[in-house]
Amino acid sequence: MGLVESGKVPKGITSLLNMSRKYSLWVYQWGLACCAIEMGAAFGSPRYDVMRLGVIPLPASPRQTDLVVVSGTVTDKMAPAVKRLYEQMPEPKYVISMGSCANCGGPYWDSYSVTKGVDQIIPVDVYVPGCPPRPEALLEGIVLLQERIQNEDMAARWKGEAIVVD
Amino acid sequence: MSSTDTPTEETDAEETDATATDTGREAMLEQLTGELGDSLVGSHLEPGIDLTVRVAADAWADTAAFLKTGMGFAYFNFVSAIDWLPSPFGRDMDSQVDISLEGSEPKETEEMTWGLAGGETRFQVFARVNDIVNHRAVTIKADVPEDSLTVPSWVGVYAGANWHEREAWEMFGISFEGHPGLRHIYLPGEFEGNPMRKDFPLLARRVKPWPGIVDVEAMPGDDDEADADGEDAS
Amino acid sequence: MTDISDRQQLNYIAAQAADARLNLELETEGMTLNIGPQHPATHGTLRIVAKLDGEQVIAADPVMGYMHRGYEKLTEVRTYPQVTTLINRIDWLGSFANEVPFILAAEQLMEVEAPPRAQWIRTILFEMSRIANVVLFLGDMAVQVGAVTPVFFAFRDREHILNQIEAATGGRFHPNFDRIGGLKDDLPAGWVAETKQVMKKMRGFCDEIETLVMGNEIFQTRTRGIGVIPADIGLQYGLSGANIRGSGVDWDVRRDNPNGLVYDQVDWKVWTHPDGDSFSRFWVRLQEVREATKIVDQLLDTIPAGPIMAKVPRIIKVPAGEAYVETENPLGVMGYYVISKGDLVPYRVKIRSASFNNMSITPWLLKGVYVPDIVTILGSLYFILGDIDR
Repeated sequence: MGLVESGKVPKGITSLLNMSRKYSLWVYQWGLACCAIEMGAAFGSPRYDVMRLGVIPLPASPRQTDLVVVSGTVTDKMAPAVKRLYEQMPEPKYVISMGSCANCGGPYWDSYSVTKGVDQIIPVDVYVPGCPPRPEALLEGIVLLQERIQNEDMAARWKGEAIVVD
Repeated sequence: MSSTDTPTEETDAEETDATATDTGREAMLEQLTGELGDSLVGSHLEPGIDLTVRVAADAWADTAAFLKTGMGFAYFNFVSAIDWLPSPFGRDMDSQVDISLEGSEPKETEEMTWGLAGGETRFQVFARVNDIVNHRAVTIKADVPEDSLTVPSWVGVYAGANWHEREAWEMFGISFEGHPGLRHIYLPGEFEGNPMRKDFPLLARRVKPWPGIVDVEAMPGDDDEADADGEDAS
Repeated sequence: MTDISDRQQLNYIAAQAADARLNLELETEGMTLNIGPQHPATHGTLRIVAKLDGEQVIAADPVMGYMHRGYEKLTEVRTYPQVTTLINRIDWLGSFANEVPFILAAEQLMEVEAPPRAQWIRTILFEMSRIANVVLFLGDMAVQVGAVTPVFFAFRDREHILNQIEAATGGRFHPNFDRIGGLKDDLPAGWVAETKQVMKKMRGFCDEIETLVMGNEIFQTRTRGIGVIPADIGLQYGLSGANIRGSGVDWDVRRDNPNGLVYDQVDWKVWTHPDGDSFSRFWVRLQEVREATKIVDQLLDTIPAGPIMAKVPRIIKVPAGEAYVETENPLGVMGYYVISKGDLVPYRVKIRSASFNNMSITPWLLKGVYVPDIVTILGSLYFILGDIDR
């Protein structure tokens, strides 16, 4: 623990740690709307199996996950719940925003009850566009996230300022 | 709807020629007129398609009771409301680009006009009930009195009206007398305003006006034929 | 295993006791359990606030609106083709079915009729979206009672249907394929033969589900006698679809008022079940999927040749008037009441969604029920949150 934070870990071990982290992501399915069905197809259907990437879609509790995929429209009524669930996740945590509703409000950009994008509430790592994005697009988003994790500097993440969301 | 489907809604397992007369719906209208008398202030019968009646606001619940017990309309479809005020924001979707391309002017009528079976007030409640044994249905409308914005509730007649009336209260601001508990059903508790009213603006369109037809890039092969709208992707 | 009539009697006694308690002391007794809005067992973002006395529910209050996107307001600022794109997303599992009643209402106002080929293909896609929707229900109902595996079968077999819909329309779901006056495009070559193969596979899936899930003793114990809806109460609340047919009411809008879809050209049957409990609703839906595959087979054999689109102007201005069309969607009866003032955009669209009425019976239905049965009942009513919240 102390080694990682102080940044004195040799590069080989850092990349080994990153590789092990990226291939063992546990995903919390924050399935809100139509994108949840495509996410379910990506996770549950044998055709677009996501487990081959090492991502396991099992947990039903946010306290055991590293990755949350926000799929579907976020409404103003739902927004506090999203924030609370994000705060319950342990560090290091990642967010994929799936679908145009979660990216920017989508087809409901002018509605009175829709939050225009989940990045107004929580920080997002990867945006997957589409309405709904094909399961392969979600898999590409996960692969991009894995690349990002591989190149991540763990010390900077631990030492730097915490991500403050207000 | 169209002339190809022969069984229309009022048939009792018999063939009917619903050409110009619609005997089933006319009989329904007669029965309603006979029972309601003066309370039935307007009606519209579209032969072969539908029947709409308009009743006075204080007869709103009595009409429902008569329909359910006296005429056999046991199936409750929906209750909602209409706001006939012409929107002060125009169509809210015209940009200069669309107007110049298609030449359409935004409609800015000052007068209120009403739909089928007429109307006199800004708000109307309307409902639909079905008789699924004889395959009939009727749409009922009522003017909501301007001063009190209250109509009697249907909950005593059709239990399912509970949630529909909550929604109409939340979206339009119309109260229903006799409803067990009017409270928010869709919107968070602190929401101010009644969203479905025509003078409730969609703020996102106020802040950023509709950009109109935007061509991001020309299709391969017709670079010069790209639309002369001049708008680029912003 | 308790007999159905014993179970019903027990439920009745429990409901009476719960009522009595509620009348005596309103809020001080028992515990308030908050189920949702994020919960693995609810079909989306639904929140139920249940007041419990031990294991029994005294009062249950669903709190909705977590997916309320304001459809009725949004349709007032979009042109008719744009509205078609938007309303696909109301019932997001069987999405072609959402477009159809709206397009039919607009066609009724414009006094335009789609050519026969378009009507045929509309009906075929309508039934296919029903199959896609209900297949997921069949798998999901098993998950609600604890069997996790059938849902993977459901997703796998749903992919076959989505393949076909994608081949014809370009979108797996949310096809945006219907247009006022017809359809956007004709069918690709070879689609008819492939779809027939897919229908055979779906019938195989139904047989699998019947042996795996419906015949399972645990499933039967958990669903028989649970959540009984008497027919007259169901009519008062406006239930529709398999929920009302599972209570013995013989009403199907496809047969009684086909409106523009060609069900009168096909030989098919309406399924009902007299019991009114969760098992009967599941049973009715399974039979309906089988029936839908047969309907599609018959329609595929008789598609007429001809144009796909009637003559409509490029920029559609629907004449002033009001029209209401309802169709038998996968979830129930869905209707659109379109008020037009002769403009490019509708003046008011009232969306009568099936799940809103189906859900409105839950406060009445969940009284006196045990906590594990809440999930079974909600699963058997089968709502989609987008359909409730619009």
